[in-house]
Amino acid sequence: MSLADLQPLMLGLIVACAALLLLLVDLLLKPSARPTLGWLTFAILTGTLAASWLLPLDGEVQAGVWQGSLWTTFLARLMLGAAALAVLGGLDYVARAWPYRQGEYYTLLLFSLAGMVLLPGCRELAAFVVCFELMGIPLYVLAAFGKNENGRKPAEAGMKLLLIGAASTAITFFGAALLVGLAGSSRFVELVPYEPGPLHGVAALLLLAGMAFKIGVAPFHMWVPDTYEGAPTPVVAFLSVAPKVAGFAAFASVFLVATPTLASTWRPMLWLLVVITMVIGNLVAIPQKNLKRLMAFSGVAQVGYILLGFLGGVEFGAAMMLFYLAAYLFANVGMFLVAHAIAEAGEGEDIVHLNGLARRSPWLALALLMFLLSLAGIPFVAGFWAKFYVFTAAWRAGHGEMVLLGALFATVALFYYLGVARAAFVNKSERSGPVPVKRPLALAIVVCLLGTVGLGAWPNPLVEAALAAVQGLY
Amino acid sequence: MSPLLMAALATLGIPAGLTLLFGVLPMLRRTGKPAAILSILGATSVLGIAGWLFATWLGNPTEVIQQSTAWLVQAGRPLGEVGVRLDGISVSMLLVVAVVAWCVQVFSLGYLSDEPPNGLGRYFTYQSLFLFSMNLLVLAPDLMQLFIGWELVGATSYLLIGFWYPKPAAAKAAIKAFVVTKFADSGLILGLLVLAAQTGSFAWDAPLGTGVAEVVAGLLFVAVMGKSAQFPLHIWLPDAMQGPTPVSALLHAATMVAAGVYLIVRADPIFAAATHVREFMTQLGAFTALFAAIVATVQTDIKKVLAYSTCSQLGYMISGLGAGSLLGGYFHLTTHAFFKALLFLAAGAVIHAVHSNEFEDMGGLWKKLKFVAIAFVFGSLSLAGVPGLAGFYSKDLILEAVHESGDHFALAALLLTAGLTAFYMTRAVVKTFLGQMSHAAEHAHGPGPSMSLPLLVLLVPTIALGWAAQPFATLFGKPYEFHMGTVGYAAIGLGLGGIALGYLVYGVGALGFLPRLFAPLGKLARSSLMDELWQSVYEIGGQTPSRAAAWIDRYVVDGLMNFLGWLTIVAGQQLRKLQTGDVQDYLYAVFGAAALLALFGGWR
Repeated sequence: MSLADLQPLMLGLIVACAALLLLLVDLLLKPSARPTLGWLTFAILTGTLAASWLLPLDGEVQAGVWQGSLWTTFLARLMLGAAALAVLGGLDYVARAWPYRQGEYYTLLLFSLAGMVLLPGCRELAAFVVCFELMGIPLYVLAAFGKNENGRKPAEAGMKLLLIGAASTAITFFGAALLVGLAGSSRFVELVPYEPGPLHGVAALLLLAGMAFKIGVAPFHMWVPDTYEGAPTPVVAFLSVAPKVAGFAAFASVFLVATPTLASTWRPMLWLLVVITMVIGNLVAIPQKNLKRLMAFSGVAQVGYILLGFLGGVEFGAAMMLFYLAAYLFANVGMFLVAHAIAEAGEGEDIVHLNGLARRSPWLALALLMFLLSLAGIPFVAGFWAKFYVFTAAWRAGHGEMVLLGALFATVALFYYLGVARAAFVNKSERSGPVPVKRPLALAIVVCLLGTVGLGAWPNPLVEAALAAVQGLY
Repeated sequence: MSPLLMAALATLGIPAGLTLLFGVLPMLRRTGKPAAILSILGATSVLGIAGWLFATWLGNPTEVIQQSTAWLVQAGRPLGEVGVRLDGISVSMLLVVAVVAWCVQVFSLGYLSDEPPNGLGRYFTYQSLFLFSMNLLVLAPDLMQLFIGWELVGATSYLLIGFWYPKPAAAKAAIKAFVVTKFADSGLILGLLVLAAQTGSFAWDAPLGTGVAEVVAGLLFVAVMGKSAQFPLHIWLPDAMQGPTPVSALLHAATMVAAGVYLIVRADPIFAAATHVREFMTQLGAFTALFAAIVATVQTDIKKVLAYSTCSQLGYMISGLGAGSLLGGYFHLTTHAFFKALLFLAAGAVIHAVHSNEFEDMGGLWKKLKFVAIAFVFGSLSLAGVPGLAGFYSKDLILEAVHESGDHFALAALLLTAGLTAFYMTRAVVKTFLGQMSHAAEHAHGPGPSMSLPLLVLLVPTIALGWAAQPFATLFGKPYEFHMGTVGYAAIGLGLGGIALGYLVYGVGALGFLPRLFAPLGKLARSSLMDELWQSVYEIGGQTPSRAAAWIDRYVVDGLMNFLGWLTIVAGQQLRKLQTGDVQDYLYAVFGAAALLALFGGWR
């Protein structure tokens, strides 16, 4: 095997090498120069993102163990974008809060990202599992990165994520082991026979349970609110989007590529999980007072919608899922960054701390409103098209009942999203004067805003790109 | 992309960019004059581009350049096309809009010189928005984009009529204009829906069956009646005169109200197939022309005279289009745009000088405002259809077409209107510029250069555009040959007769019984009978169901919704208890759910 054969893996390799490089640079830098690490990471991420258009990334590695295509590139771009925005938004915070651990922070983030970027292309269970865990383990550390700040909440956040993550991994591996044992091969294409037996069904649903944890499907979502609330906000901006993108890619790999013949087994259960997820996510979001907790439940609810795309047929549905993820990326990262900006100004992380924002910082309030509208699915911001497309996909696949349910819960969601908007636009506050926002954070918010509004005004190019990307899934 | 397309996009981009700039930079907008200059520079560049495009098309009249892209693709099917379509029609209309808009913006600089900077900036923001919206409408490649432009010009019309919104009459007039035209626009939406359902697109040249064409054309025409102020939906236009006079010239005389006529010209393939709708158009247009002309003879407000005259002339255009003369309707749109804008701006100069719209505050202004008087007189003569001036040629085309269509009622009404038009314009000229000077007129001051220049510019097409009917017709792809028929001579006779009669009655003071004869008519016109009629229609037809619906909404729907809302909140609070915070519980949930799933997998 020559080095050239690794060409399709290039994006993941760049990110992994950058992580190692960062460790070295960190050793050599004077403490006062360490803030450059954040900029360096940002530069690497944007550079890699740009490279995704320049490098040829299609093709098989190791005779089909890994397969690069438009699908993997599309997903990699989403993850790189989310990571770049989260890094940019957290630059000042990281430099101030953990001046001596910046190197570790960015290294961990990049390692996790490397796992994510490589995950969608895996067509073999061993590689799949390695990437899955490479993505997950650094996140446990990142979630706990604040350690003793904020009343030990970060430690609790990391711990809960670790314990439940470990349990889920065990379940996933058990399912994977069953499949490999039955098939005698770990290649996806050979994993499930044309007429599967009952044990295959058990294995597939164990895999479903394990992966449902990663993307926060109810009832595997319990870690989500505690972790989001406890973990540092810039980490959450990353954690709430990038692993989800990877998780959905893994979903697609396992269920659309590896076990399509088991569809009659996993589809009804997935249907049930979507219903539970929508109910729990939307209803429990209503009484929340903490903005990050609210966003956690909102995230759970959003996952329900994304899975609608998944239910909605193989090609169109999966493509619309990609579009949804892109729309979700901008709005969700944007929301957390705005929350971060408010918290950075010394206000706090509750919804009441948004009071009077429109009067104090109209632009920040406007950005917040756009993100909220996008998450709620109001025309004509990105989230509207996202919901519209997944509904279309579900409808076409004959899941009219899900469209009805989704629309119903979109109304419920409006209640809590607009509750946040009301705090910012209607409620009064004793504080006055604009909320100070650091330049890089402001830039990241602006990019999210542009993405949200831009995709709303002109969704076509991305829809077409998503439709093309799905062709690469097989 | 070809330079022509780039140029067309620039006519959209420049005003849109300026609007955005003024919108997001309040500091710039509030400077007033600099913002105005910037807006005028934008309008000047649009004028230059439009002129260049027009010159290009004069050299190659039949060329069609269309570039559009699918907009808002939903599940593979686009909602419509957005882009630009350049052909003889759109390019000439673009030039008309650009010329009048430029004149009006320059004129406004002088007219609104007393306005505080903040207001001036707001005014020019709206002006730029209007220019963008109108160009969007004119360059539309399909009815979808035309509709967007249509609604946008409606919105700017609302904003500009209500520009002096602290004045209750202005605010009321703005709302009235908005509501009436919006009501009519429902026809456009329905028409577009029928069209899209039948053909799957919003193109105006898709083949339609006769029945469908009648339905679509009929629905579109309802919107035209609103926008182009046809009876009985004309009621908003006289009130719209509450806006600043340059606005009346641009929106409510030259361009926006003509959008309805433009729509018919654009959607000609649809209208051509709808014979019944066209017959109705001929008659309604003729009736509106006559009705509005009669009402115009008794108005005491110079702007109201011109407003009713606009209704009347739009009726002419609609009637001509109904009779099948695309060229006539469209050519009259063009000449009317220039001479009516000239009349309005000249009237604006008079109003600026005497600070009143009423004839009783004018009189004898010839001595003070010589140039304005010359402009106004030429505008009036052109409108009255005096041979050699622009209005004569375009009006003649319409009369010939209606004559050929064999609709005697319409022809009679239009000919009578020609006489009445000459009569009321003579009356306006005499009351404004001749006779006894009023107190206000004695203190009148002449217009500044920024107000005189647009008058001079508009004088040129007012006089000479008729001589260019030949190249204009080639641009339109129609043959044109000027000839005088019986109808033409009759129109000339009636026009000159109207002028003579008007001078006799109001200038010399002879035939005093005539104004007395009109007096009850004036009372009737001022009694706002139509408004009250609409009011009662609205109350009976609109409010009764609304009240019933409101009752159901309050007691049935709200009750149910409140219950559901309560249920949702309580459910949320209960479900929240599942989230205990104990990691043991979470693990039970994970393992339990996984075990259940696995069981199901094995059972299947």
